[in-house]
Amino acid sequence: MDFWQSFIGGFLPYIAVATLVFGLGYKVTCWLKAPVNLHWELFPYPHTLGGQLSELLAEVFTLRSLFHHNLKLWFPSLVMHWGIYAVVFWLFFLLVGAPVAIYLGVAGGILTLTGSCLLFLFRLFVPGLRQISTPVEYLNLLFIFLLALAALASGALGDFAFRNYFISLLTFKPHLPLPGSYLVFLLLLWLFMIYLPFTRMAHFAVKYFTYHKVKWGEVE
Amino acid sequence: MRKVFDDYRVLSDETLRPDEPRVEKFLQAMKKSLQQRDNWTFWLPYTLSLDTCMKCGTCAEVCPVYLASGKKDIYHPVYRSDMLRKVYKRYFTLPGRLFPGLVGAEDLTEEKLNAMAENVYRCTICRRCAYVCPVAIDNGVIVREARKIFDAIDIAPDELKKNGTQKQIKFGNATGTPANAFLDMIEFLEEEIEDTKGYKVKIPVDKEGAEYLLIHNAGDYLAFAETVMGAAEVMDAAGVDWTLNSPAKGVNDAVNYGVFYSDAEFTTIVKAHVETAKKLGIKTLVVGECGHAFEALKYLMLRLIPPEERPFEVKSILELEDEWIREGRIKVDPEKNPEPVTYHDSCKLGRLGGMYEEPRRILKACCKDFRELTPNREMSICCGGGSGFAIMEKGDFRKFRMETYGKLKAEQLKASGASIIALACSNCKGQFREIINYYQLPVRFAGVSELVANALVR
Repeated sequence: MDFWQSFIGGFLPYIAVATLVFGLGYKVTCWLKAPVNLHWELFPYPHTLGGQLSELLAEVFTLRSLFHHNLKLWFPSLVMHWGIYAVVFWLFFLLVGAPVAIYLGVAGGILTLTGSCLLFLFRLFVPGLRQISTPVEYLNLLFIFLLALAALASGALGDFAFRNYFISLLTFKPHLPLPGSYLVFLLLLWLFMIYLPFTRMAHFAVKYFTYHKVKWGEVE
Repeated sequence: MRKVFDDYRVLSDETLRPDEPRVEKFLQAMKKSLQQRDNWTFWLPYTLSLDTCMKCGTCAEVCPVYLASGKKDIYHPVYRSDMLRKVYKRYFTLPGRLFPGLVGAEDLTEEKLNAMAENVYRCTICRRCAYVCPVAIDNGVIVREARKIFDAIDIAPDELKKNGTQKQIKFGNATGTPANAFLDMIEFLEEEIEDTKGYKVKIPVDKEGAEYLLIHNAGDYLAFAETVMGAAEVMDAAGVDWTLNSPAKGVNDAVNYGVFYSDAEFTTIVKAHVETAKKLGIKTLVVGECGHAFEALKYLMLRLIPPEERPFEVKSILELEDEWIREGRIKVDPEKNPEPVTYHDSCKLGRLGGMYEEPRRILKACCKDFRELTPNREMSICCGGGSGFAIMEKGDFRKFRMETYGKLKAEQLKASGASIIALACSNCKGQFREIINYYQLPVRFAGVSELVANALVR
């Protein structure tokens, strides 16, 4: 079998998942073990689990802070984040065998592509944003854009049969070969997963600590 | 003093020593600040904030300095945090060592160090930015940690250190008032109350075993005596067992400037406060109208001093006044304060202290026409007196305070149509005194306790 087929389709996925899990796991463990800081809450904050969950979900799904305080970035950011959420759900529904996955996948791909492109342009042309941006901010958005582009161009997101490949990964017997365009998408996906834990794009994990341990830290 | 950052200078040449090599020392101190063991107090928010800023600029949309300056690049909150973040990346992260240009890592030079030392004193750490950040990244904690690093290499404003924390430890208060002068002042205040109000109020001092020990910002005795007298009248009217303390019985100044720039200094002062309360054997330590002192004693102290070592409760004078008005323990008549009154939420009492409703209930009960500033509560705009800025004058710094924070507050105040601005924090009072003069506003400021005392029905 072709080296690239085996490498991208059969070897990298395990490396990517392991790096994502252990990379994030290491960081999260380090933050969990961190000494409890002095009280540094910001009032008002939700005191009950229900209140905290509802505020967290509202922030995650509506990007409420951006809506209220940075409206120009809210729409492109919301589009990109909804796209990413849809792609995560695509993978979940694909694995459980729900045909709705392909609609979620294609919609997610389009939203991610559009959102990342808009955010890239905003960062490039809005002076206040350009001023605080370093090359890595552009690189991250470009990475997401190319990943979404490769996913859409390959047609993988709308291919329900692609499920077999993911299922085969779970049984450690990858179904190969895959079409060449799928390999480009997968290569970018695995590299993204390897890169993610070491970047600020892992802010979804950081948020638990910045909110629950600092901004909302319980008062004794 | 030569220009090192903008048109202002908080740090004198003697303090900043701008021509001396300090980069190596700074990097050593910064290395220590990044160690959990050496800097546990804020390690988590500090490192998360250094690592995870998404550069969305939401903080800038609410930053009073940035907005009031006409969005000058150098006052962008991320620009300020990045001054430290670039150093962090360059010297303490692998990507920054390998690909500095890509991740925005930069070498630290003496010039950059000078600029950073000044810029960390352009932010009052009001944390309005942290409140709105989608990821809850805290520019305030980065600024405070940077100040700590500077302090570790002996760069801190004289107003906060030499004439602040160090003087407070030596004399018992940052004003340097000795016990006999303090007692004379109390006698004078008792006479003043009798002359102006027509009744006698006995102000107890150094009474052991009292229910309440009230500690004011010592500067209030000199600059805002109406607040001190107002609080005494309220205590007296409530008929509670209370006392003030003189420097003969420990620290008699609520301030703790360590909150602004140093954990070590903060801890020394807070321990002195605890010892004072224990020595007097009081049950409740009442913090006078001082925002950062409330934050220090109500919250920051909790994880620093074990509960068994602080056998007393901590309350703000606002909490007591609110409680006593609602209980009917003190009677107030709002007709006695007929002018339109508004209230400025001190950042330390509000966003950092959660004290939003108490002052409003008090003022609504004591004033005929209470009106809000817009915005208020958690989105209140810092007045610019915080972080000790209210007592910083040299290097044309007053102009900075007036042209940035002060400008926004003056506009807010004018829009409210109020003729009295009620304040519950000494730094805010110092700043508003200047704002009112600078912008020639037809407004006077008053302590909340002063307004309560005015409204008392005896």
